[in-house]
Amino acid sequence: MNRAATRPADPRTAPRTTPGAARRVTARMRRTAAGTVARLAGGRGRSGASRAARGATAALALALLAGACSGVDGTDRPDEHGMEFVPGTLRVLASSELADMEPVLDTARRETGVTVRLTYTGTLDAVERIASGEADKGYDAIWLSSNDYLRLRPDTAKKITGETPIMTSPVALGVRPATVARLGWDPAKVTWSQLHRAVADGRLTYGMTDPKRSNSGFSALVSVSSGLSGAQSALTQADVHRATPKLKEFFTGQKLTSGSSGWLATAYGRRSDVDALVNYESVLLSSFPSERLTVIRPTDGVVTADYPFTLLASARPEAKDAARRLTNYLRTPAAQDRITKSTLRRPVVAGVRPAAALAQDQRRELPFPGSRAVADGLLDAYDNTLRRPSRTVYVLDTSGSMSGDRLDRLKSALAELTGDFRDREEVTLMPFGSAVKQNEVRTHTVDPDSPKAALDAIRSDARGLTASGGTAIYSSLQEAYRFLGRAPGDTFTSVVLMTDGENTDGDPASAFDAFYRSLPAEQRRTPVFPILFGDSDRGELDHIANLTGGQLFDATKGSLDGAFEEIRGYQ
Amino acid sequence: MGFREHAARVRRILGIVLAVLLLGGVAAVLVAGGDKDKGTATKTVRGVIGSEKAEFFADPQVVKALADKGFTVGIETSGSWDMEELPLDGYDFAFPSSKGPADELRAKAQKAKGKATTAPLRPFYSPLVVVAHSAAARVLADNGLATLGPRGTSGSLKMDAYLAAARADRTWQQLKGSSGHAELSGTLFITSTDPVASNSGALYLAAASYVADGGRVAGDKAAVTRTAPLLQKLVRVQGAQQSGSDAPFRDFISGVGNPLVLVYESQVAAQLLAGHPMGDLVVLYPDTTVNSDHTLVPLTENGRALGELLSTDPELRKLAVRHGFRPQGAASEFTTATNSHTAYLNQTLSGVRQAPVPTSAVLHEMALRARDQGDTA
Repeated sequence: MNRAATRPADPRTAPRTTPGAARRVTARMRRTAAGTVARLAGGRGRSGASRAARGATAALALALLAGACSGVDGTDRPDEHGMEFVPGTLRVLASSELADMEPVLDTARRETGVTVRLTYTGTLDAVERIASGEADKGYDAIWLSSNDYLRLRPDTAKKITGETPIMTSPVALGVRPATVARLGWDPAKVTWSQLHRAVADGRLTYGMTDPKRSNSGFSALVSVSSGLSGAQSALTQADVHRATPKLKEFFTGQKLTSGSSGWLATAYGRRSDVDALVNYESVLLSSFPSERLTVIRPTDGVVTADYPFTLLASARPEAKDAARRLTNYLRTPAAQDRITKSTLRRPVVAGVRPAAALAQDQRRELPFPGSRAVADGLLDAYDNTLRRPSRTVYVLDTSGSMSGDRLDRLKSALAELTGDFRDREEVTLMPFGSAVKQNEVRTHTVDPDSPKAALDAIRSDARGLTASGGTAIYSSLQEAYRFLGRAPGDTFTSVVLMTDGENTDGDPASAFDAFYRSLPAEQRRTPVFPILFGDSDRGELDHIANLTGGQLFDATKGSLDGAFEEIRGYQ
Repeated sequence: MGFREHAARVRRILGIVLAVLLLGGVAAVLVAGGDKDKGTATKTVRGVIGSEKAEFFADPQVVKALADKGFTVGIETSGSWDMEELPLDGYDFAFPSSKGPADELRAKAQKAKGKATTAPLRPFYSPLVVVAHSAAARVLADNGLATLGPRGTSGSLKMDAYLAAARADRTWQQLKGSSGHAELSGTLFITSTDPVASNSGALYLAAASYVADGGRVAGDKAAVTRTAPLLQKLVRVQGAQQSGSDAPFRDFISGVGNPLVLVYESQVAAQLLAGHPMGDLVVLYPDTTVNSDHTLVPLTENGRALGELLSTDPELRKLAVRHGFRPQGAASEFTTATNSHTAYLNQTLSGVRQAPVPTSAVLHEMALRARDQGDTA
């Protein structure tokens, strides 16, 4: 039976939002994947380890190729040599929070001889890479927080095999104890309706990852939609529609967004004005002591990650064998005990006690949507209707050194990015050389009724960029803050800085530091996301990111589109 | 041509590959048939099996027991329903987890090769059961949906009452005794696997349709149509479904999933026989259930011999029991091995009726319709 052919998205449950909007979601996700692949191929990220992994992969591939040939040409030694060469290394595409498993995996290597190389990625990016076949080329397995979204994709069904859940962790809220006290809550008995009420009354704010990039954000979106719609079984479009007014109110409380749960926790740590954090129970408990956050699992239901170690169907037999040895080990009582104690996830083997910090009262498990139409409809509603809109200034270096290939790359990256802007989003392109090129600064807002107009205008502005002048990084950044300060609004506000060189004109770094520190508290919450490109100075840009609570993205070895796309998760 | 000339080397490579496969219990490498060692020392047989038996074939004691009888077994795993899609050349046997796909495979083999394959063998079986957390089981019992044994760790699920509740979209909140249990809210349902992909999910529908249609096995489209609305409800409330029976069971053990999960009895029995504490798990035997008849379809003489061996060899039968399966024939092996676990296991399956399983084609149609994807003409 062809499973792939029998699982189309049901047209009868198609989203009520415009089909165009749904298509945009898919197109965006596809681009996300492509961008990530390009960046990884270029060696950004945990470059040392992943470069080493790629080297090993190439060697392995060559060895196997030699082995495969030998069966035909009569020299069989390379084949056995190839077998010896395989040191039982599994190349695994993994959710970023699994970094806390590395000590357990070190022990696993000693016990089983299987080395695991984790390459971190967002859940939905990984799904795209599996669907496109990219994952088959560089990986043996995937290890995501959940395969729920993967299962909704008919184009991935034949590409995976052998799913082995290793541990579980529900998506929960960590709330400051003072807030819990102020609201008069018993943390063991809080419902989604109470959370919604507190937000609507202006008494609760929180941070949550972008549901389109991170499974914890997606799970929270499913949970709160179920909770506020009163859905008694798997969520439908009708449920989402019914809950939309309340969901809108609930998402006014989201003050922090992020493409990854790690950055979210850091950003949350910087802010004293955000009351709560949505994340896996394990991340909340591990990152914050109980006097800083009280973990609340809403009593009307949670969505739980079960971390299935999943083989790619394309993996070689020896990789499949190694995976089985690994998962057999990870399911031993000793390993499960270690996992729950060191990562605060819940064991999946009978008889192993969950770590003492984990509350034992059970929760209803909210069903994950059963069709892709519902899941994508929910994501689309979040982006274009439910969440607070984004407001972003792109501070773009168009100095003389950008002329030629670099400017072309910037233009094409901006054109690519344009398809990604959400309804209601305000986008400002602020090109600079020796100073901000004031007569080229343009602001467009994506009108939900006719999104094309603004998007076309942004594309046209991008095409018109020209390179000239010096590089006034710090003066231009100040200009961006001044621009944003003139019309403050209820938005996710951020600055993206793209430069290909060091500061040559205008104010020095110290002047920017002083300027930033003099800003009102509200404006100091606007982060700058600098992109390392061309000959820009990593130290300089890192300093800007650290000062403003942003994060540095590296496009020197990968693609500029990839960096722009990755930043989307933080806007 | 080159292939034949290097047959010895190919055999050696094959040997290495099979060793790897046996260690891992997984397989993916195909070598055209016909080069099999005809020597008397070892019969190397290849087969495709349902994934729930992979651990059995990977068990070093099973490998040794088979080797003692002169068998080296290479296996590949496949969804039981997907086996029909595989070319059968080069296999000695196919070993799906129920009779339906086995019958189809046998018919296919006979048609393709004109081979007079011998009758399928059913070395062992396992009934489908529902695992429940104790609070959920008590609420079901208090509301006439289940009965519990004296220890409260096993009992019977009344399928008629359960299906009536499903038909009425009954929620846990509407059942007396559920308040105070946060996990007991929302629509009452049993978590199963995806019936289109996985055997246990499909057999769940077979049992439900048999009960819903007044004890009749669905034999045609009209019968499928009669029960489709109910079966759609059973599936739709679940949202996304897993494609194998291991994951929902693990979620259950972890205390995070739905409080009612459909599993094979062998999954529970294997845990009990391994000495794992069972926490607040309760085993509910549906009063009408379906047996997963692990059915070996011989495709060659060696395949048949392996089937015979699995069915008759005392050591292999004992090992099958250790993996929670019930060997066919005399029940004493299973009952003896599980004597200290009668609090959980209904050894003799007393009070449990077996629903016959529809043909493969009808069951496919049933699964597709339940997922709202079938021909709705």
